[in-house]
Amino acid sequence: MKILIVEDEQALRESIEDYFAEAGNVCETANNYTEALAKINLYRYDCIILDITLPGGNGISLLKNLKENNHPDGVLIISAKNSLDDKLEGLDLGADDYLVKPFHLSELKSRVTAIIRRKSFNGSNLLKFNEISIDLLGKQVKVGRRVVKLTPKEYGLLLYFIANKDKVVSKNAIAEHLWGDRIDIADNFKFIYSHIKNTRKKLMEAGSKDYIQATYGTGYKFSDE
Amino acid sequence: MKLIARYNRVNLVANIVIMLITGIAYYQAISWVLTRQKDKDLQNEELSVLEYINVNHELPQTIESKYLQITFKKASANTVQRKFIDTLYFKKWGKDNPKRRIYHSEGDFEPGRALVTSAAIEDQYYKVLIVESKVETEDLIRIIFFITIGVILLLLLILFITGRLILNRLWQPFYGIMKELKLFNIAEPKEISQLDTAIDEFKDLNTAVTEMSARAKRDYRTLKTFTENASHEFLTPIAIINSKLDSLLQTEHFNDRQSKLLDDLYSGVSRLNRLNQSLLLLVKIENRQLHEQELIDLKVLIDEMIVQFEEIYQDKEIKLYYKLDSKKIYANNYLIEILLSNLITNAIRHNQIGGEIIIDLTGKNFIIRNTGDLKPLPDEEIFTRFHKSSGSEGSGLGLTISRQICENFDLSLTYQFDAPYHAFIITFPG
Repeated sequence: MKILIVEDEQALRESIEDYFAEAGNVCETANNYTEALAKINLYRYDCIILDITLPGGNGISLLKNLKENNHPDGVLIISAKNSLDDKLEGLDLGADDYLVKPFHLSELKSRVTAIIRRKSFNGSNLLKFNEISIDLLGKQVKVGRRVVKLTPKEYGLLLYFIANKDKVVSKNAIAEHLWGDRIDIADNFKFIYSHIKNTRKKLMEAGSKDYIQATYGTGYKFSDE
Repeated sequence: MKLIARYNRVNLVANIVIMLITGIAYYQAISWVLTRQKDKDLQNEELSVLEYINVNHELPQTIESKYLQITFKKASANTVQRKFIDTLYFKKWGKDNPKRRIYHSEGDFEPGRALVTSAAIEDQYYKVLIVESKVETEDLIRIIFFITIGVILLLLLILFITGRLILNRLWQPFYGIMKELKLFNIAEPKEISQLDTAIDEFKDLNTAVTEMSARAKRDYRTLKTFTENASHEFLTPIAIINSKLDSLLQTEHFNDRQSKLLDDLYSGVSRLNRLNQSLLLLVKIENRQLHEQELIDLKVLIDEMIVQFEEIYQDKEIKLYYKLDSKKIYANNYLIEILLSNLITNAIRHNQIGGEIIIDLTGKNFIIRNTGDLKPLPDEEIFTRFHKSSGSEGSGLGLTISRQICENFDLSLTYQFDAPYHAFIITFPG
């Protein structure tokens, strides 16, 4: 997939670029308004990660420009402004999603993947990973032909893992993805562990390989290597 | 004690004392003048008696008029000293006076003034006593006394009336300023209004208060803007740390020690982030930036929330009981979610393993009770910023935010300790 990262903060831009850089992905970057405007008018991207506050202009006007020219690129707004108005304005103008800074790279990846999936499959809502197939509309998971009954959280967890395959995802990121901000209650992440254990068990009982690995106590990795 | 009461009291005492002194002075003065007058009369009388004796060489017939009695007594020579004395005057009542029957007496004593003098007829020496009734003088003094009392009473009445009517009206601007001050809320845009008064002191007070409030508001705004800006500025560095940690995690091959360090870093950053978000949220609530309101079915919302929190309280083996009646309120959905989520979070966080949470929703209020420490929390302190129980992982802003949200929607949030339960109660208006 081809991604444009519009972000003026160098350190953040590089992190995102690094995280998305993998076989089959093309990442381009723009660090100001003019550069971003030039790029979106020249090339098409599967997804544009768009910061709102940019030197030289506003990300929202880039979004407007994109929509006025009927470009089909997916847009994910990343903003430090956690304001409902901004969010609604962005989504009204045709952004596909809105993510508030700071965020976990795995969360960003999962959101971008979801946008691209929605854009590119056009009605076909089947996501496949080796022997696991997921009907995104019916929210049904199958291993081969066997239906795996997952709870909503386990289902979310599986999608999250697949979007971040081969990446180490931190427990914090998982917790925030599944429970939102409320996770600050947890003194430990024991209950995440039990969700992961159950997901893994259900998949393996249905005949899938063991893809979920715990890595150094800090996080988990979904990988077929 | 009201200033006016204090003022009246002092005023009254001073006035009464002055009136009494005046009364006494009047009494003395009039008494003196009248006595001198009497004495002159007595002297005249003496003169005519002595003249009569000189001319006739005999005692005059005992003259007895209504107000004058002259008596002669034999006395040895040079034993009588001429002097004026206060004495009693026996007043005889008239033959038909009904008092005679009532008191079985011929008359009564009245205060009198007398002149004791002497007269000699040939060698016989006489003591002459001329007594005059002083009853008019006494009457006069009585009238003066009553007038004084009357004036004192009138003064009292006037003081009372002025206090009630005029002074209350005079102080009205002061009470107006007091009311404004009581209603003053530093977070509200409403300014203290200019009072319409002609009195300099109140004008000064009003100006001082208005200026002070404007200054306080300005400072508060500056501080708030500062908090807001600072929190915004924090977001980018936090985002960078967060993303770098995520990137670091991908570099693989950590030993246990390193992964423990990473874990701690993650939770530190995550706390920092939550703290920052809470500050931003608080500023936003105080600025009333989240103003969209809708009809919220609390029962539905709480039901959903209980499901969302399920794993978290079950993880602590907490038993949750709830009884929810239907209740709808007009409020901002986002904020009410935060409010409820904060209260539930606290009930879980400050609970012990195997504890209890009881949630009740009625038409009147929402009560969430939880077990925990067996001593009550400091009632008001817990709602202040950054008040935290020791060892709490929270931001210390949860209850501050909750209370602020409640204030925005005219709800009241209170705490009660009902051993063994800590209860937080949201009371709905009306």
